[in-house]
Amino acid sequence: MDRESHEEQTLASNLQALSFLDPLTNRFNSLNDLCYEISSLQDLASRGSWRSIMDKVSRARKLSLLQKPHEHLIYLSYNVLALMKLRKFGDAVEELDSLEDFESSQYKYESYPDHYPNRSGSMVPFVLRWLHAEIPDRLGKRQETLDRLYTLLDFIRTKLKERESKSIDFCIKRWKKREAFMVNSISSHHLSHKEFGVCLTLLLSLLDVDSPDPVLLSKLGYIQMQLGDLEGSKASFNRVENLMTQGNSGEFLDEVEFKNLVSRNKALIYLVGKDYISAVREYDECIEKDPSDVVAINNKAMCLMYSRDLSDSIKVLESALERVPTVALNETLVVNLCSMYELAYVNQADTKKTLSNWIARVAPDDFDSSCTRV
Amino acid sequence: MSSTPGPHSLAFRVMRLCRPSFHVDSPLRVDPLDLFTGEDLFDDPIAASQLPRLFPQSGNHKAGESDLTYRNRFELQSPTDAMGLSGLLILPQAFGAIYLGETFCTYISINNSSDFEVRDVIIKAEIQRERQRLLLLDTTKSPVESIRSGGRYDFIVEHDVKELGAHTLVCTALYNDGDGERKHLPQFFKFVVANPLSVRTKVRSVKESTFLEACIENHTKSNLFMDQVEFEPAEHWSITVLKADEHSSEINCRTREIFKPPILIRAGGGIHNYLYQLRLSSAQMKVDGSNILGKLQITWRTNLGEPGRLQTQQILGSPIARQDIELQILDIPSLTVLEKPFLVHLNLNNQTERNRGPFEVWLSQDEPREEKTIFVDGVQKLVLPQVEALSSTDFKLNLIATRLGVQKITGITVFDTREKKTYNPLLDLEIFVDAD
Repeated sequence: MDRESHEEQTLASNLQALSFLDPLTNRFNSLNDLCYEISSLQDLASRGSWRSIMDKVSRARKLSLLQKPHEHLIYLSYNVLALMKLRKFGDAVEELDSLEDFESSQYKYESYPDHYPNRSGSMVPFVLRWLHAEIPDRLGKRQETLDRLYTLLDFIRTKLKERESKSIDFCIKRWKKREAFMVNSISSHHLSHKEFGVCLTLLLSLLDVDSPDPVLLSKLGYIQMQLGDLEGSKASFNRVENLMTQGNSGEFLDEVEFKNLVSRNKALIYLVGKDYISAVREYDECIEKDPSDVVAINNKAMCLMYSRDLSDSIKVLESALERVPTVALNETLVVNLCSMYELAYVNQADTKKTLSNWIARVAPDDFDSSCTRV
Repeated sequence: MSSTPGPHSLAFRVMRLCRPSFHVDSPLRVDPLDLFTGEDLFDDPIAASQLPRLFPQSGNHKAGESDLTYRNRFELQSPTDAMGLSGLLILPQAFGAIYLGETFCTYISINNSSDFEVRDVIIKAEIQRERQRLLLLDTTKSPVESIRSGGRYDFIVEHDVKELGAHTLVCTALYNDGDGERKHLPQFFKFVVANPLSVRTKVRSVKESTFLEACIENHTKSNLFMDQVEFEPAEHWSITVLKADEHSSEINCRTREIFKPPILIRAGGGIHNYLYQLRLSSAQMKVDGSNILGKLQITWRTNLGEPGRLQTQQILGSPIARQDIELQILDIPSLTVLEKPFLVHLNLNNQTERNRGPFEVWLSQDEPREEKTIFVDGVQKLVLPQVEALSSTDFKLNLIATRLGVQKITGITVFDTREKKTYNPLLDLEIFVDAD
């Protein structure tokens, strides 16, 4: 409890420090100027307290605390996100169904000149459009989601063209970010269905050949590795390493992150060559530089297991959960740990139950505890 | 030997260790700025400059600082986070399918679930196929001295799968239990090996070249990356791989530098074709009987490079039988006009060691009249005198075309009047018939 309130204070004071007293722009002084108590919603979201978010939204609606049209939309967006995080997809669809079409004049600033003098355009939060596209897949209608996502990508590109033609540079950056987000989101759907060809084409279109994003390039390498093209993945990783030695990353990663990325890529190459000792050595270097590098930790445990050292692989994962629970507690790591328990212990059911109980105390609301198979 | 009756202190557990995979999901992570603002708010230049500062991207977290929130489950650090490919590896979650040509690898652990120590443990692991047993592991020469209560001994064994059908992994332990009684524990784990690919071949001979078309069909549940598909020619044959030209729109030079598109055959029935040109490298041009062209060696890979290897049986070319009589075109007019007679010069070669003939030559009428468009103009049968052994004779056919466009001269028949032997069809030729 104490830690929570201290953090809340820190967050608030950071925001205070950033606010301006510019009479022309007093609408953007602080987060809460944007929308009623948004900083509290943000805080709850970063803790994974999605049930609390739903309570807060429900309370705000009951007590009519939201006074402006855009606030209702924003609260609805948080609510839909919370419902999806908690895997209550049917309820999320109901929320979305309560909306008009996104293009409706009801959601335009200019429809409310009293609330928003001199402001025009859509007040729909972009994330809401995206959630609307994502939800059919969660209900088993994958094709519908793909259709909506591609349509949304088109929508973004249209917006980009409009703004590029008018040279409105400052908002182009935001729409470009949304475009990259959309392409990545679409790729994730293709990846989970092993449609690698499409994925590679999509992601290559994002790659800026002149100043490539080393993380994107690395992920291309992972996809190549996943489909079996080891030579291809080696080539991609070499390019990433060259970027590092050329000192070419700047905006993407800082020095430690970059070094760790390159090390982890190297470790993967050792791993597929079955040189587990060298792979573990690379991962150890990463963990020393960044003790919360959970990818290095998890993959190191894999290497130990494949080297017949089941006991140590378990120790690595357990110690990570103890040391850095907020980064280490993810469903993939837990699935791996439980698979190891099932192999190692006669009383594996008890061991998993203990783990499961600990998770219940510590995990965020959206943690999918079915991963323990208890 | 069957299992010693009564409870056992030891038990085997196995887990198939095919290569791990990258974990993929569709994470629900967003950029908070896109959540609590209207999408067009950034059209306002003041908003565009002020808003990002109000919410500093916790961004790339600094190494060493521990972030005590679950922020990373909610916020994107970079757009590529939305791809759901963090680089985390996940253990195989099911036994999966196993195919001929793959390597079966498994983690075996033997656990002591009793309250007592167990001693002198001899452990064996074998693969059983019908009546054959293949030994993978045997600790007879150096038995495990002891496994304490609650303790465990681990092994990893590998076996290259070379046969189809039912296989059994037989794990046996011979040990002294807590009472000093010598016990025998066999455990059986069954799996079935299926056929991953089928290869269909077609051989065509054109003049001095033989073309081999190989079609590989994928019967597995995964996409197969074709790492290497190589044709190993038999003696006397040399080989060239023929590749289709790429469509110009597919070539983006700059991304090509980074990235060569992989050959991936789709799961459950996908196919890929390969084309090879073979030439006889020795002086012997025509040899009687069937001929062996060579074998196809295929290496494929699945997740994280898991390899599989197969070789086809010997692929045969069409038997090159020596023809008694061979027809060759010597000359044909470059321009053929509709309904105007034209001459085709031909050569008849007697490849036998006896005199042959005399011959009669005509265009056969086997096909229905409507489909034939080229006819002999004038006397329908041409008579040729006897041709001596291993020599040839020239002659001309007077033909006429009745339809425009690409037409076929077909059905040229040669009849040996002495031996009463018919040779047909000996030659097919396409010509273009022009208007006047």
